[in-house]
Amino acid sequence: MKISYGINEVEQVAKNLLKNTKTKTILFYGHMGVGKTTLIKALVKVLGSNDDVSSPTFSIINEYKLQEGKIFHFDLYRINDIEEAYNFGIEDYLDSEHWKLIEWPEKIEAILHQDADKIEIILDDNNNRIISLK
Amino acid sequence: MSSQNIYILGIESSCDDTAASVIHNGRILSNVVASQKIHEEYGGVVPELASRAHQQNIIPVVHQAIKKAGISKNQLSAVAFTKGPGLMGSLLVGTSFAKSLSYGLNIPLIDVNHMQGHILAHFIDEDGFDKPPFPFLAMTISGGHTQIVRVDDYFDMKVIGETIDDAVGEAYDKSGKILGLGYPAGPEIDKRAQLGNPKAFKFTKPKVDGLNFSFSGLKTAILYFVQRETKANPNFVEEHLNDICASIQYTIIGILIDKLKLATKQTGIKHIAIGGGVSANSGIRKALKDGEQKFGWTTYIPKFEFTTDNAAMIAIVGYLKFLEGDFANQDVSASARLKI
Repeated sequence: MKISYGINEVEQVAKNLLKNTKTKTILFYGHMGVGKTTLIKALVKVLGSNDDVSSPTFSIINEYKLQEGKIFHFDLYRINDIEEAYNFGIEDYLDSEHWKLIEWPEKIEAILHQDADKIEIILDDNNNRIISLK
Repeated sequence: MSSQNIYILGIESSCDDTAASVIHNGRILSNVVASQKIHEEYGGVVPELASRAHQQNIIPVVHQAIKKAGISKNQLSAVAFTKGPGLMGSLLVGTSFAKSLSYGLNIPLIDVNHMQGHILAHFIDEDGFDKPPFPFLAMTISGGHTQIVRVDDYFDMKVIGETIDDAVGEAYDKSGKILGLGYPAGPEIDKRAQLGNPKAFKFTKPKVDGLNFSFSGLKTAILYFVQRETKANPNFVEEHLNDICASIQYTIIGILIDKLKLATKQTGIKHIAIGGGVSANSGIRKALKDGEQKFGWTTYIPKFEFTTDNAAMIAIVGYLKFLEGDFANQDVSASARLKI
């Protein structure tokens, strides 16, 4: 599935996406500044969390509460290799039953489930986002 | 109280660094952050991040803090630790260690909010550094945080503004990444900014209501700008690096100062205390000094080692809570999303 959207339509896009994902693990691919965190912000809201979503680049993982369960929001931007991910206990997070929204999953590809939902965001020449779900 | 000798051990493990500090009454005796050196002394590898790293670091770091303080662990009056916010795996290491130590030594356990630590670091006794009077505004600016807090008393504080997306330090680092600078890029941008023209390029400031901040749009604006200019001239960044850095710095500082102005106007409070690693930025320091001249502010910045993630700030909060008899039970647990 492929959608083109402006940044102010992001909430509708988030709703559509969630209707089409198959798992609770969503991987976000796209260059810096393309709107990964902004889309996740919308997804977290649609999933029903009232928590503020901010970028976890420094903290690496943010947790948001849901009525039932949690959302883990990963940002692996500043880790260098998979060893560092093991060091903060990434397996415990990945094995959990909670939602996992992962920015910069390239860094840990080797340990991700093959069936995770993959979202790619690119910018077209008019600064519209084009999103594809695989 | 001053005739009493109170020694508090502070332990901080909320993110990357494992740190321990001993405070005697209000004065810091030792402030240790896990470093390569500790590993050299005790052997072993140096992983960059969190929990396993914390597990390896915590014992040597605490040892060294107590040793440097020149006391024995039996002299400790209490153990203070970071309860949150932070990365769960990392927090758990400090939390479990602090609980066991307080249990083993049979001394009180004190839980500390990391963000309160950044603010109360201003109350460490340090020659040449004044303490802000209540009420004051505290602005914490770092790689992970950007917030303005109204502080009416040590433990009476309220967040009145914070970032809705990226932290200010992150804005620096990611702008630096776009420009091909190393990580973290803040100090490099600051250095180059002093050699460039801050008005060479204009970046639109984000429009965020009230006292909240947003830096995500600025990052995207810089990205578009660099992409556009490099299309016309592949050497654009190289040729204008100092001017670009100066312009980015000018924009970021403008955002911070605008919100501070609004906060002082809304609250009528003109004492402003800055914390977090970005407070080392020379442009921000200069803008605050200008604010003293222009707007009648009095500004406070603690010694640098107390502004980044450190355990001295956990120890001072521990000390202040000790005076109030505010202790935690053994059933206290870490909290990744702890609020002020």
